[in-house]
Amino acid sequence: MLSISAVTKVASRNKKASVGLSILLVYVMIALFANLITDHKPSKRVARPHQEPSMEHLMGTTRMGRDVYTQFVHGTRTSLAVGFSAGFIIMALGTVLGISAGYFGGKVDEVINFFTNIALVIPQLPLLLVLAAFLGQSSPTTIALIIGFTSWAWGARVTRAQTMSLCKKEYIQSAQLMGESKLRIIMIELLPNLASIIGANFIGSIFYTVITQATIEFLGLGDPLSVSWGTMLYNAQTTSAMHVGAWWELAVPATAIAILGMALALMNFAIDEISNPKLRTFSGLRIFNKRIALLEYEKSLTQQEARA
Amino acid sequence: MRFVSRRFFFYLVAFFAAATFNFILPRMMPGDPITAMFSSGGTPLPLESLQALKETFGFIDGPLHLQYFAYIKSVFTWDLGYSIQYYPQSVNDVLNRSILWTLFLVGVSSLISFSIGSIAGIYAAWNRGGVFDTLFSPLSLVMQSMPAVIISLLFLFTFGVALDWLPTGYAYNIDLDPGWTYAYISSVFEHSLMPIITLVIVQVGGYLITIRNNMINLLGEDYIIMARAKGLSELRVMLNYGARNAILPSVTTFAMTIGVVLGGSLITEYVFNYPGLGNTLYQAIVNRDYPVIQGQLLMMTLAMLSMNFLADMAYVFLDPRLRNA
Repeated sequence: MLSISAVTKVASRNKKASVGLSILLVYVMIALFANLITDHKPSKRVARPHQEPSMEHLMGTTRMGRDVYTQFVHGTRTSLAVGFSAGFIIMALGTVLGISAGYFGGKVDEVINFFTNIALVIPQLPLLLVLAAFLGQSSPTTIALIIGFTSWAWGARVTRAQTMSLCKKEYIQSAQLMGESKLRIIMIELLPNLASIIGANFIGSIFYTVITQATIEFLGLGDPLSVSWGTMLYNAQTTSAMHVGAWWELAVPATAIAILGMALALMNFAIDEISNPKLRTFSGLRIFNKRIALLEYEKSLTQQEARA
Repeated sequence: MRFVSRRFFFYLVAFFAAATFNFILPRMMPGDPITAMFSSGGTPLPLESLQALKETFGFIDGPLHLQYFAYIKSVFTWDLGYSIQYYPQSVNDVLNRSILWTLFLVGVSSLISFSIGSIAGIYAAWNRGGVFDTLFSPLSLVMQSMPAVIISLLFLFTFGVALDWLPTGYAYNIDLDPGWTYAYISSVFEHSLMPIITLVIVQVGGYLITIRNNMINLLGEDYIIMARAKGLSELRVMLNYGARNAILPSVTTFAMTIGVVLGGSLITEYVFNYPGLGNTLYQAIVNRDYPVIQGQLLMMTLAMLSMNFLADMAYVFLDPRLRNA
């Protein structure tokens, strides 16, 4: 499985991965040490309403006179916590269902695949909004749970497809012939080779959750008393920050979401590149590729000549 | 044709399952909206009137299986009951009012994104590592990671409020009468500009990346080398040999993303106060208009199912191997 040293090794080789991972680490630090890097509670009124960013209030203040920087720091904590926990649920469900369907096949596959396909054709966001509204002023925990348990279908489908193609490979078939237990084949032979897909699923799901949570809360269906990027957007919108020119109130959560999205997208792109070297864009590599293609072409020509 | 009928059967079953889910959903939730609506009003309503009101809106009491049969019948006859919020308008009236606007936004933006994304992706893959590729592939990655909320708010603030170039609400200037006049059409165009650009930005990066990656994988194949060795023109190899096969998986993406686009459209319509399905759903959710919510979910599911079915058909057309499968 992926260990920390493996992650750092990969990150040091791939520029996109290292940039994405560094940004993510900064966010994680902010979330972990939220209380150390802020002076007061995010809900405390500290200044007059809608103060522009200044030395005293780095990111300005809200309509209610709250410090936007403090809200951003504590919001990071909530948004990341929701993102990581829902991302983990999605990844776990997708992996278990995908491997079961792909490896066991038959009836198990039919049942799982049927529900996966149904879940894929039900529109996600409308369903989540309805659920959030029915449950009433959803807290971040509720939002994490409803996102986690309704969004596993993509991951399950991709994992299933990859498992099926792996099961056709010789090394899996030989492991089966040697009489290795099913659990061992899944844990030792399949999982490591699915790592890139599972990792991509995890990263993609974190990002999806952060956006979706922000969307649900922005529409006013979350708990307005919790502090997260989504409720910051919601409060800015309901106090018409945009129309009175308090751009910082919207810009801070929006930028926070956008940069996190970029970091996670870079990491996913890097995973793609690492598992499929063809996709890399180094210009040096391109010449290299051409040379290899040329060499192979010449080799095949000589082989043909030899055969003739 | 077995493939087609099998797919059709699956979508029918899927629709049935989604409809059943739609039936269970509000019944899992505590209380019914009619009671909630009138109990908060102050004067309690006589029990008989409450019962009559419930029946009007389709909240019949009685055994669950009878409720279910009544519901399934109403779904297949597309008789979705009355809206609570806009009573006496029916759910169909409410949906009919907004569906065209959403079709307009989603349709136009999807077509634009698919075309731009495909062409740019093919070009980027063909000149991999070139200026265009190094510039636009990471950029589309960034665009892909921008949620619709952020983009639409950014546009609303920049072009709607700060610069005041474009109108910020509704689908057209309400002083104008709808019709094929220049004033009306240009007003519709102006009002749709920001929502459509938002939806294009949300979608286009995804197409570019998918097509680029497919195409790069294909370019190593023997038949591409063969086509080049035959001395075919670069353009012909790129389009007829590479692009034709690289676009194939994107057709599925096109259908699969319709759910994401509907979600994106929902938030965009909300931000720009555009009178489409998404905004209607939002209003229905806020006002607890259960019949409209149910009808909406059902219709969006139906839209996704039909898009997926169409994509399957397109696949049969584009990939001859499936015709005999």
